[in-house]
Amino acid sequence: MNAYWTIPVLAAIAGCTDTQVPAPPANTGPTVYAVNYPLQYMARRIGGDVVDVVFPCPAGVDPADWRPDDATVEACQGADLILLNGADYARWTRAASLPPSRLVDTSASFRDDYIETERGLTHGHGPDGEHTHGRIAFTTWLDPVQAIAQASTIRDAFASRWPEHSAGFEAGFESLRADLASLDDRLGPLLAASDGPLLFAQPVYQYLARRYGLDAVSFHWEPDEMPADDQWQLVAGQPATLMIWQAQPDAAIARRLESLGITSVVFSPCANTPDDGDFLSVMEANLRNLD
Amino acid sequence: MAWRYVARHRFKTAILVLSLALIVFIPVGLRVLVAQSERELTARAERTPLVIGAKGSPLELVLSSLYFSLDAPQTLRFDAVDRVADTGLATPIPLSVRHRSRSDPIVATTLDYFGFRGLRIADGRLLTRLGDCVVGARVARRRGLGPGQSVISSPENVFDLAGVYPLKMRVTGVLAPTGGPDDEVIFIDVKTAWIIEGRAHGHKDLERDTLLGRDGDRLTANAAVVEHNEVTDANVGSFHFHGDQAAFPITAIVAVAPDRKSADLLMGRFEGPDERLQIVRPDLVVDTLIDTVFVVQRFVVAALAIVALATLATAALVVMLSLRLRRREIETMVRIGGARSTIGSILALEICSVVAAAVTLAAALTWLTSLFGAELVRTLITG
Repeated sequence: MNAYWTIPVLAAIAGCTDTQVPAPPANTGPTVYAVNYPLQYMARRIGGDVVDVVFPCPAGVDPADWRPDDATVEACQGADLILLNGADYARWTRAASLPPSRLVDTSASFRDDYIETERGLTHGHGPDGEHTHGRIAFTTWLDPVQAIAQASTIRDAFASRWPEHSAGFEAGFESLRADLASLDDRLGPLLAASDGPLLFAQPVYQYLARRYGLDAVSFHWEPDEMPADDQWQLVAGQPATLMIWQAQPDAAIARRLESLGITSVVFSPCANTPDDGDFLSVMEANLRNLD
Repeated sequence: MAWRYVARHRFKTAILVLSLALIVFIPVGLRVLVAQSERELTARAERTPLVIGAKGSPLELVLSSLYFSLDAPQTLRFDAVDRVADTGLATPIPLSVRHRSRSDPIVATTLDYFGFRGLRIADGRLLTRLGDCVVGARVARRRGLGPGQSVISSPENVFDLAGVYPLKMRVTGVLAPTGGPDDEVIFIDVKTAWIIEGRAHGHKDLERDTLLGRDGDRLTANAAVVEHNEVTDANVGSFHFHGDQAAFPITAIVAVAPDRKSADLLMGRFEGPDERLQIVRPDLVVDTLIDTVFVVQRFVVAALAIVALATLATAALVVMLSLRLRRREIETMVRIGGARSTIGSILALEICSVVAAAVTLAAALTWLTSLFGAELVRTLITG
């Protein structure tokens, strides 16, 4: 984690300024905001009862594309720490005014390993001439090893901010690390068991594919929208037996895939709060789906 | 009789009073002004542990960073902020003081600055997104600004027709008065400053409206591509940055070190023959400035002492010549029975009246200086 956001002096300043910036919702203890559900889950596991972790994105919305209103940003500004996913996730944070001393980029430790998914269009304006806006894969937590690194950053930020609770944070982190490591141990063999290339209906599994060295082919299909014929031709040309979906596809899509010998399997990235269970139970369900 | 004489010769009396008043006021007023300058400068400098900027004049760097003076120092790259942060010795707060709205400085920084200076919102709220601004108390009062209204940044060069359009910014809040330089400026997020500088912008989708041609990943658009000159809730998503933000310019970094040891260690990190940045302790820079002011003050006072002697000699001459001219008047007073002591008292009273009036005038001028001296000093500093 960047030391920028963790040094004690600004933590002290932040403490002094709680009356000058908007306060988060009713809470007397430390408050942390997270930009997606996995970070909220990790922070809760690490912080326990000490820290109140808020994930402000409403249910059913992709946190990557969600844009909060001014009141939510204002509440976020009052938090003791704001957990960012990094990798250009939650683009609203780039346009929002947030206190840098309280931002924690949880994926900064593996920033050099980000996956660039596509090059943008080259265009020119302004003083710097032509330039290109690339895109970075952002579902970093789908690689359990990266998820552990993010959790480690959260633990360090918490321990720096509230050193009196360091032991509790360490215990919470160790428990989480063990769960994520177990997930890692079981995911690899299951994914590797698939014959032929692994098809991904949405381009959000890059880190998962890299972690387990998968022969991955990504599409941009929606579960509730029948793909065009040219898309089906692309699938038909693949010697694959499995297509991974974020959510259950429509029955018609699943049937047509079955007719091509491809089974549809849901592997939820769990970016937003699940209807039932938590991050780990969703990942366990993903494992069962693959089994 | 003394009053009658003074009133009758009011022109001569006024000149005498004014001369004597200035002789008293100038050194005393100067001392008041210098004392206020010292207080004004040192108080803020002592509350600012360290300032980092491009190599150049330390005084210019401090005046720009603490008092938002007109003369912007050389810029430094934004990645210097991370360089400071990575040391773990201080928390960096970037500053960019390069733009104005009318004559009011626009200070680009981060939310940490508000906490660092203890600034409070009197009306509205802090910045929440690109294009927002928070207005200092005096700027708000002078321009009648409040939340919901807007201010427009002034173009750097009115003749640069192809340059960056002025940015219309949403006022989200007004700061409570502090009695310092923060009352006189408009605060924006440092990212908003980069929009003003053309390093970030938003525009309509090129592919839809104004595309002339496409060669692989390279697009050519026609001149009808209009950049947004205001950030709104509807278009904020279209704003993007060009190039590497690490290379974007700022004018200074306030480094908030928790203790003197950390500050000293940090200063050591910016030493070296190849170092392109300078790190200064504002209190030391201001002390040097004040020492210079004191030296100048001593010269001025010495010069004034000579002028005072000359003025007093001239005044004495005026009085003696006046007495000679009034010899017949005095003889008449003696002939009609006036005691010499009474006549002497009348003449002494005339002189005392002039001196008293001069002292009163000097005191009034000194009082006015003490009232408006701080503002005068601030105006002199910020240009």
